[in-house]
Amino acid sequence: MNTAAAIAPILALAAALTVAAPAFAADLTVAFPSAAPQGQIMVAVFNSEANYGGEGQPAQVAMLDVAAGQTSITFDGLPDGDYAVRAFHDLNGDGKMNTNPFGMPVEPFAFSNNAVGNMGPASWERAKFAAAGATTQSIDLK
Amino acid sequence: MTPSRRSFLMGAAALSAAVATPEMVRAAAALNVVAATKADWALATQDVEGDIARQTMRLVHGRAPAGLQGALYRNGPAKFRRPGGSATHWFDGDGMMRAFRIQDGQATLEARFADTPKRRTETELDAVVTPGFGTKGDARARIGSNDDANAANTAVMVAGDQVWALWEGGSPLALSASDLSTRYFVTLRDDLKGMPFQAHPRYAPDGSIWNVGSAGGQAVIWHLRPDRSLSDAQVVPLPRASYMHDFTATNRHVILVLQPWVFATHAMPVTAGLAWRPQMGTQILVLDKDDLSKRRLYELPGFFHFHLGDAWAERDGTIRFDVAASGDPRFAVDGARVLVDGHGVVPGDPAKLALITLRPDGRADMTYSDIVGEFPKADPRRAGLKRSLTAHTSGETRGRPLPTGLAVHDWNSGRSHAFEFGVHQVVEEAVFVPKPGATAEEDAWLIGPSVNLKDGRTELHVFDVARIEDGPVATWQADVALPAGFHGVWAG
Repeated sequence: MNTAAAIAPILALAAALTVAAPAFAADLTVAFPSAAPQGQIMVAVFNSEANYGGEGQPAQVAMLDVAAGQTSITFDGLPDGDYAVRAFHDLNGDGKMNTNPFGMPVEPFAFSNNAVGNMGPASWERAKFAAAGATTQSIDLK
Repeated sequence: MTPSRRSFLMGAAALSAAVATPEMVRAAAALNVVAATKADWALATQDVEGDIARQTMRLVHGRAPAGLQGALYRNGPAKFRRPGGSATHWFDGDGMMRAFRIQDGQATLEARFADTPKRRTETELDAVVTPGFGTKGDARARIGSNDDANAANTAVMVAGDQVWALWEGGSPLALSASDLSTRYFVTLRDDLKGMPFQAHPRYAPDGSIWNVGSAGGQAVIWHLRPDRSLSDAQVVPLPRASYMHDFTATNRHVILVLQPWVFATHAMPVTAGLAWRPQMGTQILVLDKDDLSKRRLYELPGFFHFHLGDAWAERDGTIRFDVAASGDPRFAVDGARVLVDGHGVVPGDPAKLALITLRPDGRADMTYSDIVGEFPKADPRRAGLKRSLTAHTSGETRGRPLPTGLAVHDWNSGRSHAFEFGVHQVVEEAVFVPKPGATAEEDAWLIGPSVNLKDGRTELHVFDVARIEDGPVATWQADVALPAGFHGVWAG
């Protein structure tokens, strides 16, 4: 196999991404250092209060294979700005956030800034953070 | 939509937008009340600022009975007031676990706060912000789940080398039995995390434990093995969404008493969403322990209660149990606020003991005694089985809160025996402790504390059930006064 030939398109793609990226770009790392090594963590990154509140889509999503040891994810090249993260730990890997018979979540979840809500999800005000350059959010799922 | 505790919590989110509320003003006022305006009983709801290291209590009366060894664990609120906002209801203070240990004729006392998320948040903010049973809270609350509001302040059960601090709307909080340090919230099964586990587990003759957790129109019925692992948990529908602090059980039945204090609106605090509708009467739901789908429903005229006595079933199927009943929930709404204010008049009449009889033909009746009483306790050797004695606090009078004595009522003879300390003592729930090797119902001690208002000290008393009226056989005094607690359990 011709290594140079294999790498060339990737380099080209990387160059294209570099050109396409805004002048100021953030590399956001979301880490879950204390997550139990089982199942998967669903991460959603939002770039506006409206989207975070459910009116629109997340800017980025990822699924971390915690069972295989993946406890962080980096979203490269985000435009600088305010973001908030919602995450939940799908312990049993069924793709759903399981609840108890009274409807309360039984799988760990968390928000950026480790913000806690007030009888509901953490508000944008509590969860938002500014991303610029290399930015890390270390989150404890509870 | 079926109302649930969560939906109550979630529905209240909108309320939390207010920043300065009348509640906060009231809390600030409570904090600033000068000592001179406090009632003589205000020591019973004072704040404790920190944990109390184990201390030897001083024997001030009598002597410890031979053969009495063990620990009385008791739970109750012990911190209400903070500069940035205070709990305004007796049920919403931070839980503090007390351990009175009796060994070799000596008694010790130690007490430690349950290290809850609520207490951590409020310590950091220097303000009580978490909504509760009667405290509104404010926008600074951090509640991602019901256990973030868990005050762990109501009762306690022993579980191996742990004691579990119990609340009403969330999980048991495991503490070390040896030093009362906080371990973790107990999840009895992964899929049941956060389900409410109420403060009055009932112990069955086979050593297993039954409990309930209610959420509006449904309840989870817990059944634990003697080692406190989960045997079963089932959700049952209820005929009404009623406020339920306690339940009772015979050896064969789980009995839910559904008073006409019902969830009418989604509001916080809990009391704000409840409506008193005595015309609805009180419903009594009897479930068969062997098959919870087998149920019978009885009807009685409406009454208010917090606490029930252990139930028993007679040979013909008749079920009986006692209750500390009152005419309305004014104490729960307003009286418990007066207690935290530390002055004022508690509205309504103190609860009286009554005996409820459920007959095989579907009829129910309720016979009131003239006995003022709360915190009913009975012989643990007879839990779920026929008995005749109920021990209880006594002496509360109209207008002045909190009990001043202890009594034992005999349902067979109709006779009551009481000991009255006088108004300089606030008497707390006493537990029924069988004498070693004895079997008769009166062969037991009653063990419980009081707050000696005159001396400003907490005391621990041992009574002989057969001779209550003679007063304590032993009394020890601590060098501190802890506020009055709610419920305890004896570990022999």
